Amino acid sequence: MVTDWLFYFFAALTVIAGFLVALSRSPVNAAMNMILSFIGIAGLFVLLETFFLAVLQILVYAGAIVVLFLFIIMLIDPERLPKPHKLSTIGSALVAAGLTAGWFAVLQAPTVALPTKVAAESFTGGRAPAATARVFGEVLFSQYLLPFEVAGFLLLIAMLGVIVISKHYRPATTRKEGGSV
Amino acid sequence: MDAQLQILSEFSSSHHWMWLWPEIVLAALALALLAVELLLPKSDRWLLRISLGAQVAVFAALIAGLVGGTLPTSDVALFAGAIQPTLSGHLMRIFFVGCSILVCFLGYLYLERRPLARAEYYHLVMIVTAAMMLLAQITHFVAFFVALETVTIGFYILVAYGRNSSYSLEAGLKYMIMGGFSSGLLLFGIVLLYGAAGSPTLIGPAGDPFQFGQLGAVIAENPGNPLIVIGALLVIVGICFKIGSFPFQYWIPDVYQGAPTPTTAFLAVSSKSMGFYLLYVLLTGPFLGLQSILVPVIGIMTYCTIAFGNIAALGQNNVKRVIGMSGVAHAGILLVGILAAMRGVDWAFQAIFFYLITYALASFAVFGVMCHVAPDEDANQEREHYFGLMQNHPFLGGVLAVGLGSLAGIPPLAGFVAKAAIIVAAFQAKLYLLVAFVLVGVVVSIFYYFGWLRAAVTNPHPEIQGEPHPVVAPSVGSRALLAVLALASVVLGLYQGGLLS
Repeated sequence: MVTDWLFYFFAALTVIAGFLVALSRSPVNAAMNMILSFIGIAGLFVLLETFFLAVLQILVYAGAIVVLFLFIIMLIDPERLPKPHKLSTIGSALVAAGLTAGWFAVLQAPTVALPTKVAAESFTGGRAPAATARVFGEVLFSQYLLPFEVAGFLLLIAMLGVIVISKHYRPATTRKEGGSV
Repeated sequence: MDAQLQILSEFSSSHHWMWLWPEIVLAALALALLAVELLLPKSDRWLLRISLGAQVAVFAALIAGLVGGTLPTSDVALFAGAIQPTLSGHLMRIFFVGCSILVCFLGYLYLERRPLARAEYYHLVMIVTAAMMLLAQITHFVAFFVALETVTIGFYILVAYGRNSSYSLEAGLKYMIMGGFSSGLLLFGIVLLYGAAGSPTLIGPAGDPFQFGQLGAVIAENPGNPLIVIGALLVIVGICFKIGSFPFQYWIPDVYQGAPTPTTAFLAVSSKSMGFYLLYVLLTGPFLGLQSILVPVIGIMTYCTIAFGNIAALGQNNVKRVIGMSGVAHAGILLVGILAAMRGVDWAFQAIFFYLITYALASFAVFGVMCHVAPDEDANQEREHYFGLMQNHPFLGGVLAVGLGSLAGIPPLAGFVAKAAIIVAAFQAKLYLLVAFVLVGVVVSIFYYFGWLRAAVTNPHPEIQGEPHPVVAPSVGSRALLAVLALASVVLGLYQGGLLS
């Protein structure tokens, strides 16, 4: 099966590039590996036939966001991180191996698998909710209108926060004449 | 029109925006605040008046609606399954607005003495409060996560708000890393639940596994599914970061110390209460089917939280860290209430809610005093600063005594009744060992609360102490507010009205 092999390829790309993001000593390399990881995720979206999300993943994440990361990294020009202590490397590797093994054990465990009815149609009529821009828009502005509105406020306060924390304030405006409220 | 559009238009018509008027009013006025500051220079006084006035109006209207029975409740979830107004949700909404009013007032006291942006502080507090009020009614994980992230991101900014203090920036960074980590775990848990509960290989898979009701039905049918168990545990871990229960409490001391005092109060009261309400909703709602696994897990966590909070608070000298660590101990006692609710004590929510009210009243009284005693570097509030407070500023000293006494649970103050209610609920749930453990914790807590109070009462020899620590004399407004808080702590200890029934 070609799609199976493609799945393994993109999954491996995502995971290995993800590891390299965490392990890179240089921030630029980490950001570059992040692009690779995003491309892997976009490939997985294509295999799931959600082409719209795949395009968004490339355009927004691999394109805009990582480029922004690179801008900032090059602007502040950080030094390469020092090598961590050997013990902590071994410890982290052991923990990661243990978690992975535990995770596979969970997935292999005999689960309650009694198919009674297939509910695929009840997912918005059998179509993946984000298959095309049209379906995506329809769902976003009907079913998910409330979270969408809240997300607007989330982005607003995030932007406001950047301004508030990065702005310098002159102490001239410190003390107002006292008095009660 | 095909069948799918039919479904979507039904979803659209279930959006009763009018039912969310308190949140919408708060958000709109928060935006108006920014406009006022932009258009009218020198509008400092007005900013506070607008934000306080708006919130007091919403608070009063909500209480009037609750008393008059005009606040709508619904048996089915609205907003395409995202919102279900309930009586307990309305109570929490009122609670959050009330806390927000007090935080804005403390914020005024803090900002008055510092060269920082003003309008944005009230704006953020109001938006975060509106998101919390929304969270109190949410029954859908997509809306849940978005609203929770709005709260969390608001708090990242509020914690780092004192940008001239390295403590505040450090606290902001630490809180952001911890918050990001906990949000990641929470999201992973939600995704696992979604994937497991929507899978056609389970009994009765859900059409919309994000919806609490449908998810709960799937979980009740498949309680042993490992993906569901892990997903539920991860969601609970994500929320436990918010309430600061052991072993997710390690961010608390540094963040509480570094954050501006009003933000610390906001974190300690509103954020923690929100976490407990979400925990209550999830554990007695969708996760009810996982009782056999979750009751022991939360039970062990409760023991550790009470023990750790009380022991760690003993060694602290910075009063903000004392409040942080004792807050962990309070989280442990509230977890006892959650356990009682899980084991079917039907009035456990009233006990938890009453505890939250008394905790809020006492904490805000103490934080109000802290705002007046705090030195210019807000993070360095040591116990020594309180020497001679009772003699030099008897009003502040008295409020501090009432607040700390209520937190410690000294009769006849409100904190005593609240602790007693939780203990009775735990007794009815047959959690006898836990009851004994809580009692030991309460006795230990008296030690560190009274250590602080002793500093306020003692008056060391001037040659040892040097100059007394400068204290900002409270204005008429803050005197009135602190008096109301202290009085409420006393009155609620003697008469609970309908709050416990």
